Amino acid sequence: MDPSEVEFLAEKETVKIIPNFSLDKIYLIGGDLGPFNPGLPVDVPVWLALNLKQRQKCRIVPPAWMDVEKLEEMRELERKENAFTPAPSPYYMELTKLLLNYASDNIPKADEIRTLVKDLWDTRIAKLRLSADKFISQLEAHAKLDNLTLMEINTIRAFLLDSLNCMYKLRSNLLPGSSKGQFTDY
Amino acid sequence: MFITDIRKEFYDVVTNQRVALLVAADIDAVCACKILQVLFHCDQVQYTLVPVAGWQDLSTAFLEHKEQFQYFVLLNCGANVDLLEMLQPDDDSVFFICDTHRPVDVVNVYNDSQIKLLIKQDDDLGVPSYDEIFRDDEEDGDSGNESDEGSEPSGKRRRFEEGAVERRIERQRAKREWEGRRREILFDYEQYEYHGTSAAMMLFELAWVLTKDTKDMLWWAVIGLTDQWVHDKITHMKYVTDVATMQRHVSRHNHRNEDEENSLSIDCMRISFEYDLRLTLYQHWSLYESICNSCYTSCHFKLWTLNGQKKLQEFLADMGLPLKQVRQKFHSMDMAIKGNLRDVIEESSNKYGMKDIRVQTFGVHFGFKNRFLASDMVHATAALLESTEKDDSASDNFLKALDSLSRGNLDRLHLGIDLAKKKLMAIQQTVASCICTNLIVSQGPFLYCYLMEGTPDVKLFSKPMALILLCKYLLKAFVHSTRNKRCKLLPLVMAAPKDVEKGSVIVVGIPPESETSDKKNFFGRAFEKAAESTSSRTLHDHFDTSSKIDLSSSNAALQTLRPSLRQTLGGGLLFISSAASVLEALSFCFVISCLNRFFVCCWRM
Repeated sequence: MDPSEVEFLAEKETVKIIPNFSLDKIYLIGGDLGPFNPGLPVDVPVWLALNLKQRQKCRIVPPAWMDVEKLEEMRELERKENAFTPAPSPYYMELTKLLLNYASDNIPKADEIRTLVKDLWDTRIAKLRLSADKFISQLEAHAKLDNLTLMEINTIRAFLLDSLNCMYKLRSNLLPGSSKGQFTDY
Repeated sequence: MFITDIRKEFYDVVTNQRVALLVAADIDAVCACKILQVLFHCDQVQYTLVPVAGWQDLSTAFLEHKEQFQYFVLLNCGANVDLLEMLQPDDDSVFFICDTHRPVDVVNVYNDSQIKLLIKQDDDLGVPSYDEIFRDDEEDGDSGNESDEGSEPSGKRRRFEEGAVERRIERQRAKREWEGRRREILFDYEQYEYHGTSAAMMLFELAWVLTKDTKDMLWWAVIGLTDQWVHDKITHMKYVTDVATMQRHVSRHNHRNEDEENSLSIDCMRISFEYDLRLTLYQHWSLYESICNSCYTSCHFKLWTLNGQKKLQEFLADMGLPLKQVRQKFHSMDMAIKGNLRDVIEESSNKYGMKDIRVQTFGVHFGFKNRFLASDMVHATAALLESTEKDDSASDNFLKALDSLSRGNLDRLHLGIDLAKKKLMAIQQTVASCICTNLIVSQGPFLYCYLMEGTPDVKLFSKPMALILLCKYLLKAFVHSTRNKRCKLLPLVMAAPKDVEKGSVIVVGIPPESETSDKKNFFGRAFEKAAESTSSRTLHDHFDTSSKIDLSSSNAALQTLRPSLRQTLGGGLLFISSAASVLEALSFCFVISCLNRFFVCCWRM
């Protein structure tokens, strides 16, 4: 999967906006949106929020988890635990990037939030790498990881699968009596 | 006609239509175009952008697009000429003109249906009133009546005739008087060309009325205004007034976002009012280079002489700035020195006779290292717009200049800054060589200078904006270097080769150097008349009517030009197909005309 595909899926999450125009309810295939009234908050998918923001038709309200104190707590928790703690949002990385790129003037303390989310991401990826390393070196058969987000899985997927394939090739070539040339190409 | 409510009469009209945008090639127009493009993107208005460099381009573009578009928006072109006569549009084409060129043609002002002017009426326009210029012709109707009356019985007819004849003579006399007055009024109105409020500022006000103004648009409006100041198109008073207007918008934007205790992200754009130094590009160069290559300092110190260099060293020593620091790139200079640099420089420059080393302007700051002054951006964008690389066409350059204004295209902007540095260095070197080799000749009522083809960097000066800049610096330098008091009050005419293959020459004239110049240009009319009277092949292509290109190159044509030029003194317009005849023609011109006139003419030799 491409990271841009993951971002595309992330854009379906809803976020609160405050529009400055009025429009009746609109009926889209994915669901109903609206009605829009100036000054009243409404929930819309992120893709629509960003489009309206770029056309200067709304103001984006940062999601509840995008707050300096909450993110600091989560970061501390993540550093203490060995396993993965629940992520702020299943798409926290993509939403941070999108919202801080296009709507940073609506989000207070945007620079600190960016740093905190990056710290959280780094900790989680480090844990993931450790876990993958242990899995491969100890030749485990199966493993279970909770609370991973799609972006993290996507980051490690290519590497993990390729390394497991290589290990399998090496192991099967070591077995006595294996016919040569059978496992060369996939 | 003038538009009063820009939102209802312009924006709401074009919102649901497809619009053709015809934009002239100067920085103010580029900024105005950018603002309008963002507004169109917000409201999803379909538009076609066509950069036009002159009247011919405008006509061609109009012919190409007139079938598909009903609404045309013209930025910085079209107000000072009778547009309907030039373009011959259909009756349903509507033109919205946002132009800084004045005077606005009277036909454009009084046409109610097809021409809408996005111009503020409190700009001292001085448009003559309708009755003074237009009047229904009643003569034919009356003479028709009189001929009908002729069929009446002869007795009455005789009395009628006497009365009728007297009345007719009276009417004809009144008409002749009126026409004489009309010619005078029109002549006075149209003889001087000058510039009004920046187009970018007008469109920013539109955005403000729509409450869609952003800091980006405000910055572009500031750049448009600064362009008018850098290229000497508006008076200092007007610049200061407009800066005050922009300053109000800047403080409004700054208050809007920073009132909470949470400050904005560092990536957000911050515009600030600066009372900064007049040294061009000094923050992107070393201080020493900037002092050497800025017109103001270089002319005051006379840096083309040895004495001048010594004075510069004294100046730097007086301020206590070590040479090593000053020759370094500006952002590598010591923080201690950079801290109160402006005040130190101002104090020292007062001692050396440079009283206005500081000027009111604006600066922008986004990200950690991107800091630009408005004049930096003007120079960078102008260098991109008139870049003389081989493969670039005029519209490519226009689009590159347009792109460089976006915050995301910083590498293009830095390229523009490098080109601007080269341009400024070329200008200074040319100025130094012209003065040292006495290339400026005094020809009676004006000064003249011709750049030979072999001069280094002469290709840069085949573009009007660059040549005008060179001309101004040269005149300033000349005024500072000559001891002849009379020469200090003379205007300067400068010629440079425009196209080597075709043998054309671009000629520029500027008014004399003065503190209180009203920046009014006289050459536009002068050139037209000269062209007519000398019947030389000239091309008045630029929107500044002072540019003309003369096509005839034979000396015989020149000979015939001279006597007719002597006769066109009153009009003051000269088209000359050779340098010598230009000088002569201009010499007569200047004897009569007031010296505060601006001449820009291009002609081919």
